[in-house]
Amino acid sequence: MNNNFTRRDMLRIASVGAAAATVASPAILRAQSGYPDRPINVVIPFDTGGYNDRLARASAPFLQEALGQPLNMINRGGAGALLGHTFFMQQPDDGYTISCSSFGPYVPLNILTQDAPFTVDDFHMINLPSQDYTLMATAADSDIQDAADVIARLQENPGSLSIGIQPASADLVNLMLLLDAHGIERDAVRLVTYDGGGPARNAAAGGVVDIALVGGQGFLPLREQIRPVLVFDEVDNDDWGGDLITDVSGADAEFVYGSQRGWGVHSSFVEKHPDRYEILLNAIETASKSPEMIESLTNQQLATDWRGPEVSNRALRNTAAVMEQHIDLLAGT
Amino acid sequence: MEEKSGRIVVMWGHLLLLAFIAGSILYYWLDARAVSLRPNNLILVQPTAILALLLVLAVVPQCFPRLSEEEIERGTEPLSHFARIGALIASFTAFALSLETIGFDVATWLFMIVGLYICGERRWWLNLIFSTVFTVLLIYGYGAIIPFPFPLSIL
Amino acid sequence: MIEFNDVNAALTLLTSSLDAWIWLIPGLAIGLFFGAMPGISITMAMAIFLPMTMYMDFLPSIIFLTAIYTAAGFGGSVPAVLMNIPGTSSAVATTFDGYPMSRAGRHNEALGVALAASVIGTLFAYILLMFLIAPVSRVVLKLGPLELFAVAVWGMLLLGSLTGRSMSRGLLAGAFGVLVGTMGMNTAGHLRNPLELPWLFDGVPVIPAMMGLLAASQLIGLITTDYLIEDEASRKISLKKIIGGMRLALTHPTIILRGSVIGVLVGTIPGVGSSISNLLSYSETKRNAHDADTFGTGNPKGVIAAESANSSSEGGAMATMLALGIPGGGATAILLAAFAMQNIVGGPSFIANNKDIVYAIIFANFAQAVLLLGIGLGFVYIAGYVVRVPLRYLIPSVLVVSTFGAYAIEGNAAGPITLVVFSVIGWAMVRYGYPVAAAVVGLLLGSLLEQNLIRTNQISGGDFIGYAMERPIALVIFALMAISMALSALAKHRRKSRLANLPDQSM
Repeated sequence: MNNNFTRRDMLRIASVGAAAATVASPAILRAQSGYPDRPINVVIPFDTGGYNDRLARASAPFLQEALGQPLNMINRGGAGALLGHTFFMQQPDDGYTISCSSFGPYVPLNILTQDAPFTVDDFHMINLPSQDYTLMATAADSDIQDAADVIARLQENPGSLSIGIQPASADLVNLMLLLDAHGIERDAVRLVTYDGGGPARNAAAGGVVDIALVGGQGFLPLREQIRPVLVFDEVDNDDWGGDLITDVSGADAEFVYGSQRGWGVHSSFVEKHPDRYEILLNAIETASKSPEMIESLTNQQLATDWRGPEVSNRALRNTAAVMEQHIDLLAGT
Repeated sequence: MEEKSGRIVVMWGHLLLLAFIAGSILYYWLDARAVSLRPNNLILVQPTAILALLLVLAVVPQCFPRLSEEEIERGTEPLSHFARIGALIASFTAFALSLETIGFDVATWLFMIVGLYICGERRWWLNLIFSTVFTVLLIYGYGAIIPFPFPLSIL
Repeated sequence: MIEFNDVNAALTLLTSSLDAWIWLIPGLAIGLFFGAMPGISITMAMAIFLPMTMYMDFLPSIIFLTAIYTAAGFGGSVPAVLMNIPGTSSAVATTFDGYPMSRAGRHNEALGVALAASVIGTLFAYILLMFLIAPVSRVVLKLGPLELFAVAVWGMLLLGSLTGRSMSRGLLAGAFGVLVGTMGMNTAGHLRNPLELPWLFDGVPVIPAMMGLLAASQLIGLITTDYLIEDEASRKISLKKIIGGMRLALTHPTIILRGSVIGVLVGTIPGVGSSISNLLSYSETKRNAHDADTFGTGNPKGVIAAESANSSSEGGAMATMLALGIPGGGATAILLAAFAMQNIVGGPSFIANNKDIVYAIIFANFAQAVLLLGIGLGFVYIAGYVVRVPLRYLIPSVLVVSTFGAYAIEGNAAGPITLVVFSVIGWAMVRYGYPVAAAVVGLLLGSLLEQNLIRTNQISGGDFIGYAMERPIALVIFALMAISMALSALAKHRRKSRLANLPDQSM
């Protein structure tokens, strides 16, 4: 194209550019001292505005205080958190990149349905304060009374009610387990599929679908527009007043939890840097238990409970195991 | 109308574009059918794909227009245009593919130099100054306002 | 409807702490700047500044964030007009006539028209909002898939007027766009990912694809040109002409009113909003215009239609958020989070208990709209200088900035790769006379069409007609669509026959 432009010129240009850039660069290497000595990145595998994003941003000021370093939020949404989880796993396991995500059920779903390049054991949960559950709800002015009514109608004619639900979700697994428990044919029910919890909830509240099964915590702002029918949990933590799955399908009723959200790190980080892990763990625990953080997050309808690594890891692994059993439900409808 | 003089010209580029469109639609349709044959999968994709392929058939004859010599003359562009556009597309592609590997700073700087040259800036000193200043400003400016880091090599 | 006690209370609230207002101008400036950067979404801008509001009182924090929201909505039109870059999907229809105006040396006017239409659209929207909040809370949630399908079909009618000189090529471009728009995981959980790329799970990244089709393709084709505006004398930046453009917008109140009503109504629907309303408004305006043929070649009416609709959608989304506590999109989700930080939870009880705050928000937005007029004027004046930059500098620079934006919006190389692929496709389409705008409309509406068609099929069990009979709102939308088409066909026919009856015509 132009023969004046030789390789040597190129090198010269490159070195001049490099020199200029180094002078201009503000990133001066500092001596390594105690962890953390630089800002910590928080990978959120969802877009801005969702529960995890709000949880991370709302917790950030308190965690920053406990850690003494700022937190950088990195939103990597898409593909049901697969892209974000993969990106997180690719970051160095040195404790300078942590994640705030709905690890359950998304990590198991990524693995079971999307061929994810990681396993559940690659993730270590520090604290999963938010444990969501499936709530079956109908519009406030609906003629559906309670769970027994829904089951009776479906037993008589499985297609009589339209059911709003997200495909490949914990909610779908719960619905199918409920149908099985009451002898209702799976393929005969009328599913209406939604891409997100929000649209499915709105459809229930507006009476567009007869009932919807969606994560219960997201229903809280819509409390006045819906009638709670059935809570898929052993306890009614949010005081819905609907039936519990254990009332309807027996004390040993099988069900899965919904989104289990909170803070996680690489499992390899825990092994490689036990000292750093201890610092991070303490910081998250201190912040989560501080009255200021509890007040601030509660006002935003975000969970702050301290459940700790042991309970949190067990919860995630249980979800993964149940999901694996019902892998056949996770394909398209 | 039938009297129009001139000869039939083959618009190879247009044919190529049509082949690309038709090929990708056909491939997408077959791929979607392989996923599932349920209406929940095909209700919109299948009819749209069929419609699109029929439209391709309708457009194919337009790749063989009858043009007068004068129109042919007017329609031909000098080859150098194509060379420049091709070079710009090639360097743009290389830029997008290399961002994450060689860093946004180096990739941007190199693309600016090459891009400015292709687009007609022949004064090297101006090219280098502009490319360097632009790269530095953009990296720091954009880096300050977006919520996650760009992979960088030097800056 | 409007309670004067509450209005008074709102005014007291707004005037009690004047320091709240110092946040207005920084908010507007931030919004304009972020909005004008391709790839920085309104949501992203608001999320970045959300933590700052934690240490503010309620009123300043809301004024600050809504100022960003308002200004970012307009900011997106600046690159749309000057460089054909729709930084957000709500500025797509702005490019249709805004960019041709710029190329013809009417960039000052185009920016002025866009600014005035935006400001008036925002004002209208918030006036309408005062009357709309109550009905919105009753109706919005009842909108089901058939209603949304009807809205999507209405948007698709736009294809008919974008086809350019060859109907078959236009429709092919549209169908191609629709198919691209349906890629990825669909609403029923079926994954169409022919290239087996993980980042296509959610489909083709829409904004990078749009930037490629509309903007990068143009830039590549301009390589043999020296300046965006070839005539040197027209390259001037003239405040007088910008203001002239603003005046021009005022001479089309019907278009602004139509755009605002469409914008507000569509804006109230969660998940639809401004990306669709600007297309609908453009389409309706074009169909009803006597000079419909000149749309797409630089008719200011097209800009007015698009801008009045996309800016008023913000008011609609706000109505849904206030009335129901439901975010219609990312930006209102951030606002809800900001409310929550101040211990205020949106929803029906919020409006009932806090009418003064609702009115305060509305009045604050009036003030924002008025101030935006001034700040926006300064902003477009400076931004206008882009037309004086030689293309040999502009082309690589804009390609780079678009690439950064595409990366920012996707968070990985998927954005830049999509941008490149679609800029090559777009360049080839332009070269062989395919309307890229039709492909973009298909791309934007493809998944909305598919999702709602599937859901309608699921709910109705296949009995579309029977189900439609139970959905009065859907029937009304379809009827309005039919009436609008019939009326414009009639008007066209009348014009034609009037022309034919004219004695002495030189055609």
